[in-house]
This record gives sequence, C-alpha cells and structure tokens, in this order.
Amino acid sequence: MSAADGARIHVRGEELVLLPDRAAYWPARATLLVADPHFGKAATFRAAAIPVPAGTTEVTLGRLDALVSRTGARRVVFLGDFLHAHAGRAPATLRAIEGWRARNGSLEVLLVRGNHDRHAGDPPRELAIECVDAPAVEPPFALVHYPAPAAEGYAIAGHLHPAASLVGRGRQATRLPCFWFTAEYAVLPAFGEFTGVATVEPDPQDRVFVIAEDQVVEVR
Amino acid sequence: MSRLTLPDPSSATSLGRAERWFAARGWHPFPFQREVWRAYLAGESGLIHAATGTGKTYAAWWGPLLEWAAEHPDEVLDLDAPIASGPAARRNAAAPLRVLWITPLRALAADTEEALRAPLVSLGIPWTLETRTGDTSPAQRARQGRRLPTALVTTPESLSLLLSRSDAPELFADLRLVVVDEWHELLGSKRGVQVELALARLRALRPGVRTWGLSATIGNLEEAAEALLGVGERETSARIVRGVEPKEVVVDALIPPVVERFPWAGHLGTQMLPQVVAAIEEGDSAIVFTNTRSQTEIWYQAILAARPDWAGRIALHHGSLDRGRREWVEEGLRTGELRCVVATSSLDLGVDFSPVDRVLQIGSPKGVARLVQRAGRSGHRPGATSRVTCVPTNVLELIEVAAARDGIRLGAIESRPLVERPLDVLVQHVVTVALGGGFHPDELLREVRSTRAYSELRDDEWRWTLDFVTNGGEALRGYPEYSRVVVEDDGGRWVVGDAGVARRHRQSIGTIVSDAQIAVQYLRGGALGSVEESFVARLKPGDRFTFAGKPLEFVRVRDMKAWVRKAPNAKGAIPRWMGSRLPLSRALAELLRARLDEASRGIYREAEMEAVRPVLEVQRRWSHIPRVDELLVERVRSREGFHLFVFPFEGRLVHEGLAALLAYRIARLRPITFSLAANDWGIELLAPEEAPLEQAIGEGLFAPSNLLEDVPASLNATEMAKRQFREIARVSGLVFPGLPRSGKTARQLQVSSGLFFDVLQRYDPRNLLLSQAHREVLERQLESSRLGRTLERLARAKIVITTPKRTPPLAFPLLVDRARERVSSETLGERIRKMQLALERAAG
Repeated sequence: MSAADGARIHVRGEELVLLPDRAAYWPARATLLVADPHFGKAATFRAAAIPVPAGTTEVTLGRLDALVSRTGARRVVFLGDFLHAHAGRAPATLRAIEGWRARNGSLEVLLVRGNHDRHAGDPPRELAIECVDAPAVEPPFALVHYPAPAAEGYAIAGHLHPAASLVGRGRQATRLPCFWFTAEYAVLPAFGEFTGVATVEPDPQDRVFVIAEDQVVEVR
Repeated sequence: MSRLTLPDPSSATSLGRAERWFAARGWHPFPFQREVWRAYLAGESGLIHAATGTGKTYAAWWGPLLEWAAEHPDEVLDLDAPIASGPAARRNAAAPLRVLWITPLRALAADTEEALRAPLVSLGIPWTLETRTGDTSPAQRARQGRRLPTALVTTPESLSLLLSRSDAPELFADLRLVVVDEWHELLGSKRGVQVELALARLRALRPGVRTWGLSATIGNLEEAAEALLGVGERETSARIVRGVEPKEVVVDALIPPVVERFPWAGHLGTQMLPQVVAAIEEGDSAIVFTNTRSQTEIWYQAILAARPDWAGRIALHHGSLDRGRREWVEEGLRTGELRCVVATSSLDLGVDFSPVDRVLQIGSPKGVARLVQRAGRSGHRPGATSRVTCVPTNVLELIEVAAARDGIRLGAIESRPLVERPLDVLVQHVVTVALGGGFHPDELLREVRSTRAYSELRDDEWRWTLDFVTNGGEALRGYPEYSRVVVEDDGGRWVVGDAGVARRHRQSIGTIVSDAQIAVQYLRGGALGSVEESFVARLKPGDRFTFAGKPLEFVRVRDMKAWVRKAPNAKGAIPRWMGSRLPLSRALAELLRARLDEASRGIYREAEMEAVRPVLEVQRRWSHIPRVDELLVERVRSREGFHLFVFPFEGRLVHEGLAALLAYRIARLRPITFSLAANDWGIELLAPEEAPLEQAIGEGLFAPSNLLEDVPASLNATEMAKRQFREIARVSGLVFPGLPRSGKTARQLQVSSGLFFDVLQRYDPRNLLLSQAHREVLERQLESSRLGRTLERLARAKIVITTPKRTPPLAFPLLVDRARERVSSETLGERIRKMQLALERAAG
C-alpha cells in the first residue's frame, strides 16, 4: 500500500492510515476500522414501502472487499451500527453479507455494538462475527461507538457520520465527510452507502481530514 | 348513472327568492351574480373573476340555495314574512353533502363559513354547514367522520384526505357543487394540481357535479378555467363571468426624507417607521401588508415600540398563527376595535370584512396584480377609489413602485404560469385513490388525463407511476418485502393493503407546501401557532425569540411541540418560513427597465423617481445606467475576489438560471470556481481570480444557441436540482415530516431528501422523479422559456462593460446576498487546498 492511498497520522505512538474509502487502517495490528455500515437500511425502508433502489448493500460490501485486499488486513473491526434495524434483516441483505463473509473466511471480524445494533440485534451466528459491548480495549486505543473520552485509552469511534464545512476566498463553501481527531478521541466517517452526514464543529486544535473524491486531505 | 334534475332556470320564483332576500337588506344583486345563478341552475360550470370583496361568494353560493328551495318549496321560509331564525338543522336529519367549498388558506375558512351561514339562517334552509381543515378539533373531525355536513368548507389537503377514505364514493354521492375559492392563488402551484386531480376524481364519482371557481383577474383566465373544469368531455359547458369592474387604484409611496443617507439595499429593518406610524394615524383603521411572515413579526414589534399606547389595538396576522389568534384579529378588524393589523397575504384574500382607511405595503409588491389586490382592501364602498401606499425597504425599491403604477395604468395584469404533469403529485394522488376505494388503471388514466395538468401525460410516464407505487420501480423489481399499492385478486382493483402505508400516506398528504411544522405553545396557557422544525432545531433552552408578536423564551421540545414561556422583552431571532420570496413579475420587470431607460436620459417622472435620483446619479457617475437596448456588466475587485455584476432586470428566477449558465460557459474556458448570487435585478459571479470575460463574450457568453445542452449541463454543475428534490421527495412519500408519535420505527425511516437524491442518481438514474426535479428547476424555478427569451434579448443588446472602483448602487444588494450557488471547473482536490475549515461557529 502506498502513501497515495491515504493520509497517515500518528496517535499515541501508533500509525493509522486514513483511507479515501471512509475507513482507517491500523498497520501494526493489520486491522481495518470501519464505522457505521448500516447494512439493511435500504431494506428497512422498502419494508415500509419506501422505494430505495437496490444495490447499496452490494456496493458497500464490494468496497469492503477491495479495502481488505488492498491493505492486506487480517482483521476488520466494525465500530457499531452494523445492521440498521430489525426490519432490515431481509433475506437478500443477509445473503449478501454471508457471501462477503464466505469470500473472506480467514478474516477475523469484531463488532463493537452501537445504538442501532441494540434494536436490530447481533448479526446471525453463521457470520462468525464476534460481538462485544464498548469499549474493546486494544492499547493504546479504546474502540467504541459513541465518541467520548475513555479511561481505557484513546477512543476511536463512529456514530456521528461527521462532515466538515469548508470556506474559501470568493465566498466558496463546501461540505465533505471527514475524519476528526480531538485530543481524546477520533471519529471516523460512516462507511455505508446509504448513510447521511452531520456537520461537526471541531476546535482549532483538533485535526480534521476531509475526503475529496479519491484523496484524503488535512484541512485547518 | 341518473342525470340530475334541474329546476327550470327561467322560473320567476327561482331567482325571485334571492332578489327579495337582497332587497330586504337594502342590497341589489349585481348582474354578474344573476348570470351565475342562472348558469348554475342550467347545469353549467364556470369561473368568476373580480376584485376581492365584490360579491363573488354570494354569486357562487346562491345557486345551490335556490336549487334547494325549488326542490323543497314547503321547507323554505316565506321571505315576505318578517325575517326570523329558521329551525336549526339537526345533524342526522340534515341533507348529506351537497356543496364543497375549497379555500386555499385555513385562515379564510372561518370567515367563509360565516358569510355562507347568513342566508341559510334567514331562509330557514335546514342544512348543516361546517369547516374541516388542519385546525379542526379531533371531536369535530370524528363527528364529520360519521356524517359530513350538507355544506363543507375545506382546504385542498383536507379534501384529498376525504378522497383517501374507503367510503369516498358514498361520501360524495349527493354532491351538487364544488366551489374553488381564490383559484388564482392555487393555480400554478402543486396544490393547484392536487385540486385539479381531486376535481377530476369528484367528477368521476359524481358525473354532472358543477364546479365554479372564484378568482382575481389574471392574465390567463382561459387557461385558469381549463385547469378548473378539466379538458375531458364535459357534461357541462364552461363559462367565464366577469364580476364588478375594478375600482380606480391609487398607488403612492412614503418617500424617505434624506435619500442619500438611506441604505441602498439589504434588509433595512424599519427606518421608515415614523412615516408608517404617521400614515396609520391618518385613518381609523389600517392594514400594513408585508411580503413575508418574518417581516410581519418585525414590523408589529416596531410599531408597538413606537406607539405603546396602541397595545391591544394593533395585531398581527399570518398563516402560521394559531386559529384562535387569527379569528380574534379578523373579528377585531370587523368590529373596528383594531386600528392596525400587520399581515401577509393571509389577509389580502378572502371574504369581505369592512374596508380599512389606509393600506400600506412594506417592500416592493413584486407584481401588478398583487398590488391591485392589496389596494382593494381599502375603500370598499362602490365607486370609491382604492389606495395603497408603498413603503420602500431600500431606495431602489421606489423604482419598482413607479413601475407598478405604470403597470396599473396600462392594465398589465400578470398571468399565472401553470404546472405541467408533476409526477410526485400524481404518485401521491394514485395512492390516495387506491386508499379511497381502489381503482382500475385504465379508468384512472382517463380521469387523470381529463385534467389540464396531465392532459399530455405520456403512456410511459403513467406506466412508470403505476410501477413505482406497486413495486417501487425498475430498480426494485423482485423485492418481495416492498409493496405500497397491491392488485386485489378478485376484480383486479388496485388498493392499499398495509395499514402502516395508509397511515404514513395520510400523514404526508398535507405536506405539499411546507416543511414539518412544530406547534409553539406556552408551558402554562394556549397555543401560539407553528414554526418550521428547522428553526426550532437551532434553538437551545433559554434562547429568546419573537413569534406571534410575543417575546418568548424557548424551554424544550416535547411531543412535537416547542414549549415556551413569556420573556421580559423582545430580542433574539425571528422565525423564517421557506418559500416566501416572490420574484419580480415579467410585466413589472419590463416596466422597470423602461423607468431606468428614462433615468439614463435624465428623465425622472413622479415623486418616487425624483427621490431616487441622487442614487441613480451615483450609479451614473461610478458606472452607467443601462438603457432598454443595453446590457450592463460591471467588474469590481474587492478583498473577496473578482466580482462580475450583470444586469438583465428579468426577475430572480430567470437570473438564477442565467447565473449558472454564464458561470458554466466561462468555467469551460479555464479551471475556475464561481460563487453565484441572483436577485430581481441582476447577477453576481464572484471568483478568487479574474474571469476571462472578453474571451467568453467573444465565444458567445450571451448567445441564445446551444441552450438545450448548456442549460442542463449548467444545472448539473449546481445543487439546484438536489434542492428542488426536497419537495418532490416529500410529496411522493419518499421522506416524511416529523411524525406526531415518532417512535423508534419512525426514526429508523428518517433520511434527508439530499441523501435520497444521491442514492437515486447513483442506483436508479432513470427514476422519473429525478428527471422531474431537473424539469421543475428548468420550467418552474428558472422559467426556462423566459430564460431563452431573455438571452435573445441580451444577444441583441449592446454590452456596456464598466470597471468601477467601488461597488455601485445597483450592484450593492447582490454583494450582500448570502444565499449562493457554486459552479466550478476545478477538481475537488484543487479547490480544497485553497479552503479552510469554517471555524467561526465553534470559535464564536
């Protein structure tokens, strides 16, 4: 993997690679960190007769495949909100996730439960995804869903679906999904295809990396 | 189906009864009222147009009364006997629904009901008469659910809700007449299309039902009648009836004393307050019209602060206020207890109340017809003149006032451009009909095509609509968990099977016009009205804001209500409501250009132009005043970057499209990023570096050619279609307003229309709701036909480029406009590297 594939940041002595595909890679542990995939969200809508087009699950899983093969990750940690809702456990959606798991049989997978997982339930046992409540302590990090300082280490979280608001000369403005690093915790962008964003308001001393198409760019 | 039996219209007794009722009150029916009564009794439908308060209501209402009297000669009181109250109609004995009266504003319903009741009582006609709107109490609603009154005053949304009831065919079995009040207000909007579809439904359920529309005089009455009565084979003929000739209208303006010290533009607050207060003092009663609900709140506070002794005798009125408050105001105007009401168009429509002595208009009226309508609120006595006094909110608005007076003199009354086949409204209607007893597709298609809006509906669009409501469309085929409308096994009717679908659909019917509304209520005490959810979302507990004329402190949101308590003084934000800015009408735009042309030749006719002269002289010295055959382009350099100001004077909507087009055409020449602003007078293109203007002009910047390719391409470069999709997503049931009982399930279905737009673009690019968003931006938002004509005019114009050192007066309002679109030919990466995090909120 080359540097062009992402931005590197050192946190508490560990290197993380921030990838333009809205995930972070932790080389020392060969671990891919993925927040908020929200699988089955489109199916949840369809079950309520709201016509969301098909294909979001497949594309989300396809991106995950590509990331695993490109980084050589041996493990994936989902930082919560793996399934969107109970109504989204549609057979087609679960089959697609099973297909992904079958393609990546040797991959170790951990889910740190988030707020949606509580209602949606854990992924089916056959998927061999280990499920734990936050935090998953992996020094120097505490892997969690809700962004908040953690006693166990520097917290890496999801939940917010963060985006940063940018301005420039000539009254330019735009808003892009971002990675947000505060002194005590980091927030990763939402990974799922059918997920929105929420604008966050970083402090001046925070570090923010926006995703501009195929690049990750630090902004100040 | 049996034909209706109509009383003989020639029979003297039919009209005689009305004549005697009017005579007993010292009134005489107008000839146009007699014409409508006869036409109604002869089975005709039609459109009545006249100024507000000239008897349109009784023209429409007496037809069915006379019809009843002829059918029930023994039940009606003898009018020659002394006037007495007739027996009160008993609910279950009263005749079933005969007359539907559709009104665009809830605020008008109460007044309408009262006007309709007067003859019922004195004639002793045993009808029940009630109102059903979003304001109707649950108890009343439940009663009406069991049995509708004989005559029902309702809104388009409430009518659609009635049509979604499974017993809809029986509800309307005895319907004789549908009146659509203020048809010009509905026309040209999606609500108007919703009414067209509802009328087609009623005609299908009840062949021979008559329809009468009441309208202000507009430029395209024939089209208005066609939209009202449908284009299918009519059982009844259409008739356009002209009401009372309009009164003479006098337009004047309050002229600021020292024009040079008066700001050129922007939102000026209430600098003209002393003159406004003086004008109100001239009479016993006054209405102060504003263009937006927010301005109503601002001016009410200002007038009260200037004249605290008027507390209790001035009030404000707009469509977001609680019904009780609105009724109190309307009553106060009637009895003369209120000496001044600050209002939006919620008061320029509707049935009579006594005319006021003074009518003031804050800001430009933006259209000739609108100004005439508002003027009509003064001097209602026959033969009296109507007068309206305009209050400029910036100096340049005085030119629009002068132009509007020219328009009245020339009779330049605007047309209302109509909406063509919006598929979101059709999707909603098809689900409504599926709920309301179900349908057979071929029959429903015939019915839908009988409306003017869908007369050109293509077969593939209809198939797509059916596909969309049954299996979600192309991209969803084979998803068994999806079903909105299902085909019944026996008989093949298309119906809604799922109770959740039915509930969500009914909740979203009423949301065509606005964002989710949140009720504002005192912790201890009554309801004040409603504001948009987005406004409440920005409030933190303890924040102050002003609403319904009251200083309030926000406490919390619970149960879909914003709870507030009284605050000691007025400060903090004032809610804003979406969609409140009207563009300058085409007629007024043309007259405005003529006024500037005169000024360019040193001619300043009338007080307004005299007053604005010093500002226009600055414009001339620093830059140029454009003549009608010129196009002014100003290049100004500032700390912000390089500004290009272009002045076509064609109205904001055309300018938004033109701004995107010009930016797109320049950006093709080299990588550059523009931020765009547009107002009624012109356009600003702002970039961090200088744009190649001369090269662009040489390569056809203003050419009317290639529009078919360039306009959609420039549109794609902006976010306009995405924003337009907000409304489409709501109407077609893709996104829901905040639901009253938002449980966990509802929250899991919350999604922004923007995300929906992105997902559809990527995964279902042929979805017709997306093409509708583009089409709406082109046709409605940008008035693309007008855009083409504008470019033809500009192509012939002589381009005058000036390079002023400072921003001249005409450009100034654009400079301060914050709402901006962007067009870029740089890559995102290039742009990002020149930008910074927006930290002001966090730092501030």
